[in-house]
Amino acid sequence: MTEPRMAEPRMDAAARAGEASDAIVGVVPASVVTPATLDEATEVVAGCARDRRHLAFVGGGTELALGAAPERLDVALHTAALNRIVEHAPLDQIVTVECGARVGDVQRALGAHGQMLSLDPPWADRATIGGVIASNAFGALRTRYGSIRDLIIGISFVRADGVRARGGGKVVKNVAGFDLPKLLVGSLGTLGLIATATFRLHPRPETAATIAFQRLSLADVQRLLRAAREAHLEPEAVAALSDTPDGAAWRLGIRFAGFARGVADQSARLLDAATKVERGDDGAGDVGAIEADNDAGFWDAHERARAGDATVRIKVALQPSDPAAAELFARLSEPLARARAVFYPTLGLGFVSGDAGEPDAIAAAIEAARRSLAPTGGSVVVHDAPASVRARLDVWGVGEGPRSAVPLMRSLKQRLDPERRLAPGRFVAGL
Amino acid sequence: MAAIVGAANVISDAADLRTYECDALTSFRARPSLVVLPASTDEVVAVMKVARAAGMPIVPRGAGTGLSGGALPTPGSLVLALSRMTAILDVDLDNGLMRVQPGVINLDVSRHLTPAGYYYAPDPSSQSVCTIGGNVAENSGGAHCLKYGFTVNHVRGARLVTADGDVVDLGEGGVLDPPGYDLLGVVVGSEGTLGVVTEVVLRILRRPEATRTFLAAFPSTDEAGRCVSEIIGSGIVPAAIEMMDRLAIEAAVKAVGVDWLERWPGIGAALLMDVDGPRAEVEHTAHEALAIAARTGAIEVRVPADEDERLRMWKGRKSAFAAMGRLASNYIVQDGVIPRTEIARVLAEIQQLASGAGLRVANVFHAGDGNLHPLVLYDARVPGQEREAEDLAAEILRICLRYGGSITGEHGVGADKAPFMAEMFSEADLETMARVRCAFDPDTACNPNKVFPTPRLCGDRPGPYRAHATESDGRADRG
Repeated sequence: MTEPRMAEPRMDAAARAGEASDAIVGVVPASVVTPATLDEATEVVAGCARDRRHLAFVGGGTELALGAAPERLDVALHTAALNRIVEHAPLDQIVTVECGARVGDVQRALGAHGQMLSLDPPWADRATIGGVIASNAFGALRTRYGSIRDLIIGISFVRADGVRARGGGKVVKNVAGFDLPKLLVGSLGTLGLIATATFRLHPRPETAATIAFQRLSLADVQRLLRAAREAHLEPEAVAALSDTPDGAAWRLGIRFAGFARGVADQSARLLDAATKVERGDDGAGDVGAIEADNDAGFWDAHERARAGDATVRIKVALQPSDPAAAELFARLSEPLARARAVFYPTLGLGFVSGDAGEPDAIAAAIEAARRSLAPTGGSVVVHDAPASVRARLDVWGVGEGPRSAVPLMRSLKQRLDPERRLAPGRFVAGL
Repeated sequence: MAAIVGAANVISDAADLRTYECDALTSFRARPSLVVLPASTDEVVAVMKVARAAGMPIVPRGAGTGLSGGALPTPGSLVLALSRMTAILDVDLDNGLMRVQPGVINLDVSRHLTPAGYYYAPDPSSQSVCTIGGNVAENSGGAHCLKYGFTVNHVRGARLVTADGDVVDLGEGGVLDPPGYDLLGVVVGSEGTLGVVTEVVLRILRRPEATRTFLAAFPSTDEAGRCVSEIIGSGIVPAAIEMMDRLAIEAAVKAVGVDWLERWPGIGAALLMDVDGPRAEVEHTAHEALAIAARTGAIEVRVPADEDERLRMWKGRKSAFAAMGRLASNYIVQDGVIPRTEIARVLAEIQQLASGAGLRVANVFHAGDGNLHPLVLYDARVPGQEREAEDLAAEILRICLRYGGSITGEHGVGADKAPFMAEMFSEADLETMARVRCAFDPDTACNPNKVFPTPRLCGDRPGPYRAHATESDGRADRG
């Protein structure tokens, strides 16, 4: 029995040849298709299944360097034209959008109704909903509202075999069936094409105010936040920034949002709590001068720090109160030029970015950071780096030690994409 | 088995096995072959390996408070009761984490944290008896999940023993964003079908500085529903908004002795609401919410005079299911979800169906998120009435689906609602979920016959990819 060899893809969607700028983790796809409708997109995936072509999905292109190089890529499916808001029910506080809708556009549409999707990933004007789900992108709003996994309530996606499937629903409370939406979060297009997603929404706060502190060490940051928590303060967003992550020069921004009276009261109490930290009332001794002001400009600096040009971008996850946090940021920054860091100290998540220096030194710093984080379950993932750095390490840093979840992940991938046609090798452990 | 867990922790006597025939959904019963109560992960692994070798399905069980038959034994199964695994292993206030064994009672987590001023947010009505392991299996909610989310939003790690007896750590240490698929997210709420969770890392929260509670009496559920919509539309995110209709109020009055009927003879609906958070914020939102209640037609809004009265109000709500026993000899607790803006219309449809069937339906529900708990009252001694009640309960779920809702908001699918899954999901959806199941448990040995409407086989375990013969010899390729 002979299987016919398919010479040409059977696709109706607009297609063109791949170019260097279409590369996904350095691999240029043979062709790029931009379907106009979800049905068309489904047909592209089904066609690739019939023809056994390997494909990857591209949204706003903000995380095209994340992951390992795919082993093979025939088709890149761009979701740019799949950008409808399918349903917004303001009174039920839910929205369903197509995968290619840009976060910024969705926020503007929701804002007209006094609502928001409580998510502020970087490059919001480019990043698409599908891409944000696939890469689990986030920002400082995660402090209060959690990540996209905490906001998504339903999903429909196209499996590798071209079958459309759905999980969750459009009501905020629902435990019927397996939570497929969560399974797709962070899956980087290796389980299927996210078609539409439904989210719970929140009211836009009446007002917001940011207190920014200057010249703190990370230990100061941790102490200050502990004091804020003890004082029952509930910030909407917290971020720390540094242009010299190897020293005690962090800026800390704490934003309160809600009704005017509550915001004013919390802001005042934070300043009061900070004064006590300064005096060392917690027994930690003098933590040095803490200056504060009401500073919305802090978030512009935050945006520049997380979304500015850099050839290296590394994500760090650790316990929020890890005493070795400062050492970790210093170690990862040291081999980079123009190093800078953004740290979300209540979450224990941060990004170190800068320009590549000596590849050996960068790879060694990452491996050392991973070793130091291993006992507490932390991780270091390379989101972007030149090929010279990638060649020296596993960008995911996921091993298969005792009690590893990798065998289960592999099993899952085999069940959902048995022919390994969706960005093969891009995800953790070669999945 | 006795060699693994000790003879005292193996139950095989027919009379003793009866305790494990069902969970809180008592209309479904099946006798297991054996009940084993392990004390550690190692014991769970050993028990599962022996059971699997003997071809016995494994049915995990916490406190047995589930309302969907999720812990219903399969004939010939081994029930793995985790109620002895009650250790609190670690509390880390600085990182907001707590590691517990699955048999720890939900309320005991918060009790343990009270002196430090912390708590665990998910609060199912059964929280004084249900276990964390059961909560993880069912992705339990509770009155306060409107603001704080469900179990899945508060579990940061778990140790899972798979059907094959492998131990896997998901989200080890509780650090966010472990690289890889979010297996933890799908294990939570999988109703024991993906393995047995033997350790859980919980996210714990600082207790809110202030909580304001009030009870608003309304002439009918229409006004109460409008009040809910207006409060939420105003930008307030209440910690909880619970509604009870007249029949549910009558039951609560009889059971808990609250004076709501004496005080408000014309009461048709009660709204119980919590707002919490930093003090100044709470004072503002409570003031606003009270004003909205008055504006939308409340007969009276009562603010509890002290903590005692506050707890009594909540007791009136939380004991509502059990209180039904005072109104009828039998009742079915239903659990469905609708978009909250449809509350009034859906309640009217339910009442119409109930009148048509000659049955009474009491409604107690989480109004903020549209999670209805219609209680269908009946008398099993009247021939045919049980069947009519079951049919009515089923029709209520179909109404929920027609309004774009769900067949379960927090009780789970279990054995009870498995047939309805095919009404909510397409065959492709279910087949996809089944693939996930097969990835974890290819022999469907863990909690079989739950969640899925029809038994499903997984087929072969996929091995590593091997080239098709036509590819190997160059006649075809993967292009």
